[in-house]
Amino acid sequence: MRLPAPLRDLYERWLSRRLPRSGRVVLNQKRIFIFPTGYGFFYLLVASLLFIGGINYENNLILALSFLLASLFLVAILHTYRNLSGLGIRNGDSESGFSGASGALEVILFPERRNHLCLWLYWQGQSAQQVSVTGGEESSLWLNMPLTERGRVMAPRLKVESRFPLGLLRTWSYVSLDHYCLAWPQPQEWAECPADGGDEHSQQVPTGRAGNDEFQGLREYSPGDSLRRIDWKGYAAGKGLNTKLFEEPAGGRLWLRWDRLEGMGDEQRLSILCHWILTLDQQQLPYGLVLPGITLTPDTGDVHRWRTLDALACYPEFD
Amino acid sequence: MRVYQVPVHTRLWLATALIACSLPQLLLGPVWQSVLLAVVVVIRWLVDHQRMRLPGRIVRGVLMVTAVGMTWYSFGRIYGPEAGVALLVSLFALKYLEMVQQRDAYVVIVLGYFVCATALLFERGPGMFLFVLLCMLLLTACLVGINHSDTRASAFSHLKTGGVMLLQAIPVTLVLFLLVPRVAPLWNMQLDSGKARTGMSDSISPGDISDLSESSELAFRVAFQGEMPPPSERYWRGLTLSHYDGRTWQQAMPRGMAVDSYLYNGRGTPPDWYNRLQEQGAQQASYSYQLIMEPTQRRWLFALAVPMLEQGDASLARDMRLVARAPLSQRTAYTITSFPGLSAAIPLSVQEQDLMLSLPRDSFGRRARGLAQQWRLNSDSDRQIVSLALRHFREQPFHYTLKPPPLTADPIDEFLFRTQRGFCEHYASSFTFLMRAAGVPARVVVGYQGGEQNTLGSHLLVRQYDAHAWAEVWLQGQGWVRVDPTAAVAPERIELGLRGSLQGDAEEQGALAGLESFAAGGLLGRLQLWADYVDFRWQTWVLGYDNQFQLQVLRRLLGDVTPLRVAVSLIVAITLLLGVYMLVLLRQSGKLQQTLLEREFWRVHQRLERHTGQSLPAGLSPEGLARAVEVQTPKAGPVARQWAGYYQQLLYNPGFGAGKAQIRHLRRLRNRLYKLLD
Repeated sequence: MRLPAPLRDLYERWLSRRLPRSGRVVLNQKRIFIFPTGYGFFYLLVASLLFIGGINYENNLILALSFLLASLFLVAILHTYRNLSGLGIRNGDSESGFSGASGALEVILFPERRNHLCLWLYWQGQSAQQVSVTGGEESSLWLNMPLTERGRVMAPRLKVESRFPLGLLRTWSYVSLDHYCLAWPQPQEWAECPADGGDEHSQQVPTGRAGNDEFQGLREYSPGDSLRRIDWKGYAAGKGLNTKLFEEPAGGRLWLRWDRLEGMGDEQRLSILCHWILTLDQQQLPYGLVLPGITLTPDTGDVHRWRTLDALACYPEFD
Repeated sequence: MRVYQVPVHTRLWLATALIACSLPQLLLGPVWQSVLLAVVVVIRWLVDHQRMRLPGRIVRGVLMVTAVGMTWYSFGRIYGPEAGVALLVSLFALKYLEMVQQRDAYVVIVLGYFVCATALLFERGPGMFLFVLLCMLLLTACLVGINHSDTRASAFSHLKTGGVMLLQAIPVTLVLFLLVPRVAPLWNMQLDSGKARTGMSDSISPGDISDLSESSELAFRVAFQGEMPPPSERYWRGLTLSHYDGRTWQQAMPRGMAVDSYLYNGRGTPPDWYNRLQEQGAQQASYSYQLIMEPTQRRWLFALAVPMLEQGDASLARDMRLVARAPLSQRTAYTITSFPGLSAAIPLSVQEQDLMLSLPRDSFGRRARGLAQQWRLNSDSDRQIVSLALRHFREQPFHYTLKPPPLTADPIDEFLFRTQRGFCEHYASSFTFLMRAAGVPARVVVGYQGGEQNTLGSHLLVRQYDAHAWAEVWLQGQGWVRVDPTAAVAPERIELGLRGSLQGDAEEQGALAGLESFAAGGLLGRLQLWADYVDFRWQTWVLGYDNQFQLQVLRRLLGDVTPLRVAVSLIVAITLLLGVYMLVLLRQSGKLQQTLLEREFWRVHQRLERHTGQSLPAGLSPEGLARAVEVQTPKAGPVARQWAGYYQQLLYNPGFGAGKAQIRHLRRLRNRLYKLLD
């Protein structure tokens, strides 16, 4: 059911005032909504039919049965509400992605005092995921999120819904987590490498050859090292996980610079930088990034790539 | 098409609920219904276990048509209560077969509610209601189950959740039952429970009542408000029979008398005799009671002489008996006040007198007529004739028996002068014949006499074997006077009842053996007493809770009964109840469930505390616990350390694989530790 636009706006504003963003939320009566489902209305219809039947046949037992159905419905309100009440939700990890694609956010559910069964979590436009929180243990859930534009994409309002135990009532709550996903710029191909340093940065690259580095030796793997530099042969031979070290590349350090893309829009600049980060990363050339407000020293590897991409996503406000 | 799979943990409940809800109908209805249900359950089981495909639309259609056809075949129609219920139960089963979406599962459950309700149409005992509650429990468990999408959920947890909810719903139901106003029926639906019962018929020939006396079925109950008449005054009048053809006594109306002057239903202008009753009734002594009739499929009610209806739907007839508006197809309660002294108020019209003196053809009862003429000649008044006749019965060798010899050609003369062995109907019939022959207006009255008191509920229980027949004669100045010739022959029949009067008689024991009575004594007697009490209370408090009774109760609870007050008290009561539930539910389970290993740890912890008699520090590690054991009981030290080591391995070493075998080993270690601590 869609409301007319002005009403919807009003409703949205009321919701966001009522449920401000937060990193950790425990559902309570202020946040929980409850309403009968279609089946609930059907059930009430049946109860009233039995009531009419009881009246007409002057049969007190059928009347009692209809009252029992009605009472069960009333009790179900409490139980349905209880299934959601006291459920805690907090931020988990996040997984960034290119804008236009999708990222994911982790949401962690924790029980305050009781089990919460058959919860459905989703946000607008995504299919719901089902989870139960039992035994006093946290459960985590990864929720996909479409990234429409570059930058920090705040978590949409999360809907937590449950129909347990009887399915006659739906209880739900909106949770606005203070949680975001970074959307990297969409890479845009650009012939000229916006970089300082190295020799002939612009020509050197299209050859597709990595800067023929000299193999220097091995050191123990530490998290963040590029998987491509792991000595897999050695690992297979049982020598443990080691990272291959190379000499400084022939081309020297490259500094990707914001300033070198004068006269373009911010988003285009970021897209070009993104493209080159990916290209250089693929060639395993060390690269640094200089943006207004942040400078990342040249390095290689997955972690470095993520860091630089995240910086692009965060522009112009860095933490 | 993807077939909706009922969650595995719910299948059993759904099948059980299907069978349980249909059971009352299956027991009553035709056999093909049970066959249909069995077929459906088996097919569904095979489908659920992937042994066969769900029958297609055509097969299901054929089943449906077959069910309708069989209903038509069994009942001759597909509407009406019995046929409708049979059809509903078949539909219920077929819908169960057809579950292809979750929505269908909801429909099955809702149909289950309807089927439960129809079971209550035909049987309203407390047992049936309990059974319906059981069905409700199963249906609620199914509802929980289909909403529980975790595949690992346990089937019993559904029953538990459903049970808790149902238990919480019952007090709310009671409040609703008590307070929700009873509305008058929107349209009239009379239900024929169709059960043929033993009971009194509207004519009487020799042997009719002695047949009844073999049944201990309940005829009606009476709950007195205030004083109860002594046993010898408990004559429950049902019918007056005034036409005799030589064999059979039948009801008759005086020639030329209009029905509405004979039967007054409380509407329109009352006839004169009714006005006279009303006028004189005020000064008379009376008995007030509630009469709870069992279904008889007949219209007449049973009441003490000159009944005035206080509550209920019935008319008063000129012959001082009550007639219901429609045949009684279900238990019905009437509140009645009887004025024993009021019978003089009703005059005897000329037409009535003609009828009450009429005799069959001359060929019947020649000797009896002669005897009556002789009495007439020897006495001055009607009253004297009556006492002569009673003396005749007392002094001649008449014998009261359940097994009278058959009377063939002329029942009156054969009985009076040859066999002289008979049951109440023989005495009443021949006495009335004699009175008429002597010129005294008389009629036969049939009904029940006596009744057994249930000491728990202090109500009277009148059974079929209390059936009785006696006579009434019209005496100038006194009106209709009851005369019971049986009392002259066998006074103990009136004082002690049928059982009491025939107890010592070896010949009659066979007939008496099957008759129930509380007086049978022992545990069985007490059980019967209780069962009757529960049934009686169920009848008066639950089934009989109509708008009048409700008004009385509400007046006692609320004082003044206004719609506003009722509404407010309804809302307040329900809010209070739900509020209490809310508090309990939300406070509950403050501590989370411990894991298996945590429980193991706390067991040892508590055991050690009990052993040392002092509390241990709260944040103790397993090793700390082992050290404490060693300090306390050095010889237990090694085992304690072993236990602690194993415990930590289980808890922290992911490669250890904490399976059932490991937990069992940990328990063995704990038990060894316990032994050393002892």
